[in-house]
Amino acid sequence: MSQTERTIEIFLNDKPIRVTVGHHQTLIEVLQAQGLTGARESCAQGLCGCCTLKVNETLVSGCLFLAVLADGQRVQTIEANEQALDEVQQAFIECGAFQCGYCTPGFIMMVRALLDENPDPSDEDIGHYLSGNLCRCATYPEIIKAVQRAASVRRVPS
Amino acid sequence: MKAFEWEQPRDWGEAISMLDPRDLTVRVMAGGTALMLMMKSGVFQPTRLISLQGLGQEAGAIVQEAQGGIRIGALCSLTALGQSSAVATTAPVIIRTLKTLSNVRVRNVATLGGHLAHADPHMDLPPVMMALGATVKTVGARSSRTLTMSELYRGYYETALEPDELICEIVIPSQVGRSAVYLKCSTRAADDWPTLGVAVNVKCDGDVIEKARIVVSAATEKPIELVAAQTLLEGHSISPSRLNDCAELALAQAPLVSDARGTASYKKELLRVYLKRAIQIALKGTIS
Amino acid sequence: MLVAKVFRSTMAHAVIRAIDVSRARAQPGVYAVYTAEDIVGLIAKPFYGPAFHDQPILALGKVHHVGEPVAVVLAEDPHVAENALASIEVEYEPLPAVFDEIEAMNSKAVVHEVLKPAGTFPDLKHLSGKKNTNIALDFHLLRGDPQKAFKQADHVFEHYFKTQPVLHLPLEPFATVAVPTHTGLTLHTASQSPSFVRIEIARLLGWPENRVQVKVPYLGGGFGAKLYIKTEALASACALLAQRAVKLALSMEEQFYVITKHATTLRIKSAVTKEGQITARECEVWWNGGAFADIGPRVTQKSGFTAAGPYDIENVQIDSYALYTNLPPAGALRGFGIPQLVWAYESHTDMMARALKIDPLQMRRKNVLREGRPQATGTLMRDAALVPVLERLAQLMHWDEPFDHGSGTWRRGRGMAIGFKASIAPTTSMAIVVINADGSCQLQSSTVDMGQGSDTAMAQIVCEVLDIDMGVIKVVHPDTDVTPYDMATLGSRSTYHMGHAVKRAAEHARDQLAAMAVEFKLTLNEVSIADLFKRKYGMQAGNVVGVGSFIPAYTSPDAQGQTLQATPFWMIGATGVELEVDTETGQFRITQMINLVDVGNPINPEIVKTQISGAAIMQMGFTLSEKMDFDEGQVTNASLADYKIPGIRDLPQFMHNEAVSAFEQSGPFGAKGVGESGTFGVSPAIANAIDDAVGVRLTDLPLTAEAIFRGMRIHAGQPLQED
Repeated sequence: MSQTERTIEIFLNDKPIRVTVGHHQTLIEVLQAQGLTGARESCAQGLCGCCTLKVNETLVSGCLFLAVLADGQRVQTIEANEQALDEVQQAFIECGAFQCGYCTPGFIMMVRALLDENPDPSDEDIGHYLSGNLCRCATYPEIIKAVQRAASVRRVPS
Repeated sequence: MKAFEWEQPRDWGEAISMLDPRDLTVRVMAGGTALMLMMKSGVFQPTRLISLQGLGQEAGAIVQEAQGGIRIGALCSLTALGQSSAVATTAPVIIRTLKTLSNVRVRNVATLGGHLAHADPHMDLPPVMMALGATVKTVGARSSRTLTMSELYRGYYETALEPDELICEIVIPSQVGRSAVYLKCSTRAADDWPTLGVAVNVKCDGDVIEKARIVVSAATEKPIELVAAQTLLEGHSISPSRLNDCAELALAQAPLVSDARGTASYKKELLRVYLKRAIQIALKGTIS
Repeated sequence: MLVAKVFRSTMAHAVIRAIDVSRARAQPGVYAVYTAEDIVGLIAKPFYGPAFHDQPILALGKVHHVGEPVAVVLAEDPHVAENALASIEVEYEPLPAVFDEIEAMNSKAVVHEVLKPAGTFPDLKHLSGKKNTNIALDFHLLRGDPQKAFKQADHVFEHYFKTQPVLHLPLEPFATVAVPTHTGLTLHTASQSPSFVRIEIARLLGWPENRVQVKVPYLGGGFGAKLYIKTEALASACALLAQRAVKLALSMEEQFYVITKHATTLRIKSAVTKEGQITARECEVWWNGGAFADIGPRVTQKSGFTAAGPYDIENVQIDSYALYTNLPPAGALRGFGIPQLVWAYESHTDMMARALKIDPLQMRRKNVLREGRPQATGTLMRDAALVPVLERLAQLMHWDEPFDHGSGTWRRGRGMAIGFKASIAPTTSMAIVVINADGSCQLQSSTVDMGQGSDTAMAQIVCEVLDIDMGVIKVVHPDTDVTPYDMATLGSRSTYHMGHAVKRAAEHARDQLAAMAVEFKLTLNEVSIADLFKRKYGMQAGNVVGVGSFIPAYTSPDAQGQTLQATPFWMIGATGVELEVDTETGQFRITQMINLVDVGNPINPEIVKTQISGAAIMQMGFTLSEKMDFDEGQVTNASLADYKIPGIRDLPQFMHNEAVSAFEQSGPFGAKGVGESGTFGVSPAIANAIDDAVGVRLTDLPLTAEAIFRGMRIHAGQPLQED
């Protein structure tokens, strides 16, 4: 193996994988090669949120995150827990909170974390938390409604 | 991006030893958010990167000092900074500033040391740190030193740091009796690099302003302390005419530049308005 | 699979003296490097485009704009391909360049020496271009005797307006995968017009259509960017030259050089009576089409029909010019030129009303085109709810109630604007509805769902006709081997055109089912579809295939721009805005935005609402923050960090979106399109509200805080220094 690549181990959506990566490769490139296309590079600058991933408990922009840094870490994508829709996904559908859907995985990942941190966010809280996620179809009003709906569903004890 | 080598030192000393002052293609990477942008655009093509991720938690720790100041390890993430109760009690202006600084994901990864060392004049914390009177401690191959923020910033993306010198700690002195404000003025979208940043820090005795610090950023090539304007305030209570005079002195001193966000002459008007607003808000903060 | 990376021109206009790709070819991991020389070996005439065949697959002889593809590198590793670009060397001989649309009218710099009309679309058949000029198309309309009316007028108003270059910027940039097959070529592409791509690629290669298969998945946004042919020609050429599958996926930065929205200069002049009746209007519009015509000529012509606005004006002259310049090409962007025109004519309406001291609403009421009246082309207004939209807007804005203009350093203002659009005609849509023996069903249509919800709307139409449940229908995504011809997904045409074709296909299928039922002396109410197939074929077997097609009537305008059939339907959109201006800085916030449209009878009211809202917010970006900055043809802000599109914190404080109660007699179930209508009134409504708040009239987009501040200072007699 050359000095510019190495083999890393990632717990990808709770499954361990071993993959050889170039030091210059981003996590998003590695995930795409694994067939996981839910997170995608769009602006390439960490501004649009389309490549949102969770590394351990931290949300990151996959397009600015070198894959070597994920060595030994837990990485979660929108494809984790694909069996059933959670309350955030359900709320997005009910509120019509997407049009083309390209930005939606990133928004869902963000909103889940927002509600973990803040179960009862104000519209302003939502705006600040999601200010780094862009939707060119501009479904922002519907997204704000969906976050509020998901929050209220989460707050009802099951 | 081109292929490069990767090192992960265990401590600052090892990190410094891996740098080569004659080879600028070898650099350290902390959070990497700014460096990645430069690498992706081809502005910077490293042959070797030295990741600071292996330095351990201590390198990013926040320590409350007995005298009331705080010491922040350079590798503290901006998110950790924003969640720190020591920061919230000592310098709440930092918490307020972080709310509109970039976005959640960038703050999660970016470090305070990297943020300050990048020297992009549009960044929010350099003017805030300058207004707070913060200093940075550095480690280098030859020596370690302490720099004020005014000493750190030389120009547009330019610092006083040597190629083999790194910021390892940021020290914020006690802010007891002080009130600080940072106003970020964006003129296009709500979330944008600022057209103008104004940071003000005042210490009052009753109505009288004892100490004042006024910093302008974003509209200038580097954050700048407006000394004449702050001197005018010190030793006096505020009046509309003094506020006006202070703003005029600030305008005279601040070398404002035109860019896509506005012309210099418009930024001058913005500075006049935002500076007065910042001072008034800061003064209110000293009363409560 | 190989990845293609494009080497782009750094010059706006230059002769290519030499290209040296030898160093790039020698890079380890590089599979191939191609230039126009290689392309010509495969395709003798490698030029494409919907209006003119003016766009080379790779620059041939000269470059026409910064960012034009000059060479392409193929490698398995995208980084290898990307890095190899740096070792390509091109020697240019610079030519004089022209960037401004007004200068382009008489410029010595001519972007294309030869113009080759495409002749593809019937409405652009007359296209020839003007040799030795930059004029790709000039459209002229004359009705009545404007010059006489101007002479007799109580008042004459003349204003100039400008719109800035902006772009679509779907978050999914352009992407095509081209795969050579034993029968030809398969393209997987992010396109709004799979049928056109197939025809154009087949034409380039000299193949029959059926050797090219074009498949389109869901798109990550389009807004007009992914129309006609974009990355497909280069990807196809690479795949055939390499005889390997090739992926060409552009970066966000590259999008800035592919297609933009026309910057425009507009002149509008009106003759008005003392009472505010408009008796004559002259409009001149110069469209900055960039280096390749794309669909600019159609934008120029179709929007030319309505450039005088939704007003009943007896004497009208319209002169509209599609111009080549050395900027990146401009095409269709959500509104097909209409937002630029409404910007001018609705700003103009308020400026006249203000000068005449007439209320802006009254000014519009007095002049608005009423049902049955002819508009500038002579085509009658039919099922055009201009009056209901205007009146509903007035009602929702409480226009007749006193308005608080604020105090101190904050001033409030309100404004309105209304616009209309002729649809794209004549264009064809085909659809196939297949009923399976178990009663399930698939709809085969080449309409591309890029977020506008067409799959849902089309499925609803089938279900309505066949009286089946939404759960049993599958919408087959565009695949030219399977889904029949559709002109394109553009111009809010799908609900109407494809809606008709789908309805007819479903009716054709239903009629066949009914005939099957009759064989067994039953009606469709008495037997399930599955039972019917069992009776007919003795088991679960067989299909019913329904076919439908639609092309609306259209008559090309005569030399005076007159026609009785300019459009199959009219689209109407209006916006009302309330805002607050910080008079110390010129910064402002929109406190209320009301967007009203006439979509006929909405097929899916919830989707319609989100279309209105999304269109209005997008147009708000084009009004307030978006602008491509150029330096000698180079985009200096080609990133989302520097080109600011609206984010979640840029919304108006309150928004209301509504489709007024209406019915389009000629539409499927009374419906017509909606994708663009929400954009029409946004820009002038905001500018009119700014004027109402602080008395500053802005005539150039975008509407920046600095421009407002400078305007206020001019009023105060203390103009700000220019720098």
